[in-house]
Amino acid sequence: MTQVDLEPRYVVGIVCFIGLISAPFLLPILTLRQLTAALFLGMFAMSWDYVSGYTGQLSFGHSMFFGIGGYTAAVLNLELGLTPVLAILVGTIAAGIAGLAVGFPALRLEGPYLALITLIAPLVLVQIVNIFPGTLGGDAGLPSPAGLVSVDEPIGILSTIGFETVFVHETIVYYYLALALFLAIYALFYVFTRSYVGSIFTAIHEDEDAVRSVGINAAKFKVFAFTMSGTVGGLAGAAFVHTAGEPNPGEILSIVVSIEVVLVSILGGMGTITGPAAAGIVYYFVRDALQTSSLTIPVLDATVGHISMALFFAIALLVLFFLPKGALPWVTEWSRDILERRSQRSESPS
Amino acid sequence: MSTHTTQSAHDEAQTTDILRLEDVTKQFGNVTAVDNLSFSVSEREILGFIGPNGAGKSTTFDCVSGTMAPTDGEIYYRGENVTGVPQHALVEKGIARTYQTFRPLNDRTVLENIALSQMPNSLFSFADFRADTEQRAREICEQVGLGDVVDQTPDELPHAGMLRLEIGRALGTDPDLLLVDEPFAGLTSDEIDRTADLFTSLREGGMTLVVIDHNMHGLLDLVDRVIVISFGEKIAEGTPAEIRDDPTVQEAYLGGEI
Repeated sequence: MTQVDLEPRYVVGIVCFIGLISAPFLLPILTLRQLTAALFLGMFAMSWDYVSGYTGQLSFGHSMFFGIGGYTAAVLNLELGLTPVLAILVGTIAAGIAGLAVGFPALRLEGPYLALITLIAPLVLVQIVNIFPGTLGGDAGLPSPAGLVSVDEPIGILSTIGFETVFVHETIVYYYLALALFLAIYALFYVFTRSYVGSIFTAIHEDEDAVRSVGINAAKFKVFAFTMSGTVGGLAGAAFVHTAGEPNPGEILSIVVSIEVVLVSILGGMGTITGPAAAGIVYYFVRDALQTSSLTIPVLDATVGHISMALFFAIALLVLFFLPKGALPWVTEWSRDILERRSQRSESPS
Repeated sequence: MSTHTTQSAHDEAQTTDILRLEDVTKQFGNVTAVDNLSFSVSEREILGFIGPNGAGKSTTFDCVSGTMAPTDGEIYYRGENVTGVPQHALVEKGIARTYQTFRPLNDRTVLENIALSQMPNSLFSFADFRADTEQRAREICEQVGLGDVVDQTPDELPHAGMLRLEIGRALGTDPDLLLVDEPFAGLTSDEIDRTADLFTSLREGGMTLVVIDHNMHGLLDLVDRVIVISFGEKIAEGTPAEIRDDPTVQEAYLGGEI
């Protein structure tokens, strides 16, 4: 037998990768737009997981980083006419500085105190946005800044393979930009968390004294985790407003965004990067499916769409209750069990 | 004042002392846990550090290892003032400690627990490409007697195994001075002997050890010298035999077993 033995998780990974790459050829164009936004939710969730899932420094206000990145980039582009690339760069740096600014007080705060501080910080930002509705758009948000890549006329190669209209072309270009960023961020976090740095992060989560006692500066690693998480979260937020989304509080700044990112990460599996990344995409579509469903519930006499959020969070509660470690660790364990049983069965006759 | 010896004797002491505490005081609010404590540890010595429960032994360790800074006084390591230097920096200088309440990482195997001590204290490093770190972690496991259980998790280990894990992780930092906090509590006499043998072999390899215990049980044959503290103050210092016969020490233990 010259069969190449590939671990199942790599097979799943390759299938998902091919699926994402070929999505524009498989999905209706509006679904592709949604998938673009879903990829950003995955990126937001990964950035949360990197600091909270790994080091255990719980943040309940990660939208501050997405918001600082997104709003900084949007305002610089709209008000000062900075090019999108430059605006995104500055937004990313601003969010990174915010990460550093949160990381230091986080050293002295633990558990509920840190959670509360991070929870309040984006609330202040939301208020600031409301105080300056002229520059920051207030509750309704700002108009979309210039696209990261301007698609003003049809792109030749896309027309020849059957895609029509500028709208469709723009959607496809933005999708691939988002996908490239998604994969880059995934690869970056994957490399870091699977290296000794990830091992130190989880050791900090387990017992900081143990980490310090072997000569590792735990504080340095904790601040680094917050800074890098903030930087990447800001990058995702800034890229979001220049592609798939708009700079408004509901999308990148409000408390609901922060809570959703925590929920996505826990549902997907904290401390795995892959879990939150995948769960972000699934979460987006499940939420959307519930919101747009016109199925009527007999007794309540209401449509599913009408009570979608109640239903949605009830489902989330059930998943949390039955799969406390999250979906990915559960699937991994379950598939390992099946493989073991199968290999036992194939061994027993011989 | 016995601390003020002649200058020449002082200089001589400085060259052979690996560790010296001068009037170290640690206060928590109004409570003085360590009170004007001065002592020194010679190179390649095994020093017993005993005292009744609550005497301030672990707090002294906390100050020396950099877990917390003393309120007052100075700590010298190889002649260098290291008062208030953070723990991770002291580990790099060669001071390692174990904790009385063990600090295992329950999310990983024994080998991975020990491997933590081989990780670089820098954010960007190619340490993962060095094959020798795992090899070194395995050697340490063998050295402390965990060679057969490298793939178990800490919660599967017996009490003595947890102690070995704690010592192994400290050894992984290649210390010159090892502070061991109450290793013999809860061990059988057989396990005490084996642990004492390990300490003796470490000293033969050039290490200096300070070992805390609340009584003299495990220390008698092991240590060269004993320091006794009570209520944060040094009340006696001498060879194990001298300490056993010291009336002040017997009083501190209120007639209990020394």
